[in-house]
Amino acid sequence: MIKVENLTVRYGPTEVLKGITLEIPSNTWTCLVGPNGAGKTTFLKSLLGMNSYSGSIKIEGREIHGDMKRNIAFVPQRPEIPSGMSVTEYVALGRSKKDGWGRDAKHGREKVASVLENCQLIGLRNQFVTHLSGGEMQRVLVARALVQEPEIMLLDEPTSALDLHHQIQTLNQIEELKNDGVSIISTMHDITLGAMFAERFILMNRGTVAVDGPAQDVINSVIFKQVFENRISVHTLETGRSVVMPTRELH
Amino acid sequence: MKTEIERIWHWRSTALVTAVLLTVGLLAVSFGPVNLDFAKIVKTLLGMDGGLSSLDRTLLLEIRLPRVALAALVGAALATSGAVYQTVFRNPLADPYLLGAAAGAGLGATIAILGGQNGFHAALPLFAFLGGVLAVIATFFVSGSFYADPRSLLLSGIAVGSFATAIQTYLHQRHSAVLRTVYSWILGELTVADWDTVKWASIYIFFSLLILFSIAKKLDGLMLSDEEAYSLGIHPNRIRIIAVGAATLATATAVSASGLIGFVGIVVPHLVRGLLHRATNRALLTVSLAGAAFLVLADLGARTLLAPAELPIGVLTAFVGAPFFLFVLRARRLQP
Repeated sequence: MIKVENLTVRYGPTEVLKGITLEIPSNTWTCLVGPNGAGKTTFLKSLLGMNSYSGSIKIEGREIHGDMKRNIAFVPQRPEIPSGMSVTEYVALGRSKKDGWGRDAKHGREKVASVLENCQLIGLRNQFVTHLSGGEMQRVLVARALVQEPEIMLLDEPTSALDLHHQIQTLNQIEELKNDGVSIISTMHDITLGAMFAERFILMNRGTVAVDGPAQDVINSVIFKQVFENRISVHTLETGRSVVMPTRELH
Repeated sequence: MKTEIERIWHWRSTALVTAVLLTVGLLAVSFGPVNLDFAKIVKTLLGMDGGLSSLDRTLLLEIRLPRVALAALVGAALATSGAVYQTVFRNPLADPYLLGAAAGAGLGATIAILGGQNGFHAALPLFAFLGGVLAVIATFFVSGSFYADPRSLLLSGIAVGSFATAIQTYLHQRHSAVLRTVYSWILGELTVADWDTVKWASIYIFFSLLILFSIAKKLDGLMLSDEEAYSLGIHPNRIRIIAVGAATLATATAVSASGLIGFVGIVVPHLVRGLLHRATNRALLTVSLAGAAFLVLADLGARTLLAPAELPIGVLTAFVGAPFFLFVLRARRLQP
């Protein structure tokens, strides 16, 4: 259980997150949605415990700030791409903490090899990461998070650069991880896709939580449309799934 | 897997660079105004009676050998610092000279010399270190952020370096009695090398390099965003401070021992990167050995190219390094 109480984050004089209080149950997939500038990425990064904040974020009762013992994987939307590093070396970085910086390297190497295989990255394993396309890099980032064998995985727009095939493939892999007991928290602009995988939605707007709860309930709430300034329409399929589409005013 | 082959290639390249260093070292102790025989040198160094005259023996053991040892130490320090600065600042153009660290260290050392610390001893690198650290901090502040645009960081480094040099020049003018000694030291020279200097320099430089080697794997994390590094178990700011501190101590010691020798920190890491096709923080030992070989070779050139006159070694490294720097700058500009 992640318990957030009165979380406030400031960048200089600007309050980016304004007193957020909520609970995120363990072993679930929670998706942060909302318009640009709502504070989704800041909230996601806060859960890493690196940057300073006021209020409290507790994982299983323990404050997260500065607690480096936690194994939390982070997949950024826009990573720094280091030069001179192959895909294998880059993915293996995910083992650094788990293997005590090379002290338990054998198991780590096996894990890296199996994840590269599962992510269909074997063909790219000797490529420099600087030479990858945006989509390939995003898959490599997810692979690095998978070898980390984290207790919580934070993903910032994990499918934004992927084609449809790789979107589903990547999200399926993340779902498998969730089924193994890992808590998943992601931001996603594609709300329909998010609702296919995430059980819970947190709808954010202007640094606050507008509403949170089961994904379908959030999508079908009145406030959901209001946050997006009524520029979306929600269609419910026969399967019960919701499809969210942008609306275009005709002149 | 190919990574295994890469690992073997990595060790082979380290062995290759070590062999180059030993060969260049042997050439450097052999050639000069008086040439010494290779076989005799090797025998003497192995503790056997090599057949050298007592004068040649003194020339070898008391003049050439400490000079080559100091050149190797300084080269290793500058090259490794350059590679580490490039990783920490995520900037391929960062180097001890261009960040203002060397000029700051020079100013610190000048103040120490003018304050009565004549010659090289334990306190000089500490003054130089203080000057170097202050200069690097000033460069950060002027550039506006840690990962400033490479051009911005470079310009800030040049401005801070120029400022430090200006104060240094002013101090020289005010203390003309020691002007000549300090001036030749600024251009970079190894002529004053003796075993005492080598001893002190090796303590500081080995200490700095050991720290840098021990954090080499964590330096990988600094090539990622801070949040990614943190999630991988790296405290980015802590590693950054340790890395910059150790690299600046190595630079400061090099500057204290031999004056300002520019461009080693940019030429050598780029050459090693080109040779190994991998990030230099993954091959810091190779970078150190290559830096040592580069400066021993440069010193040999400085001693012999215009013999019997001697070129300041800083002039020679700038002669090679400045065009190389422009090449890197242009290659970077042409990148998509």
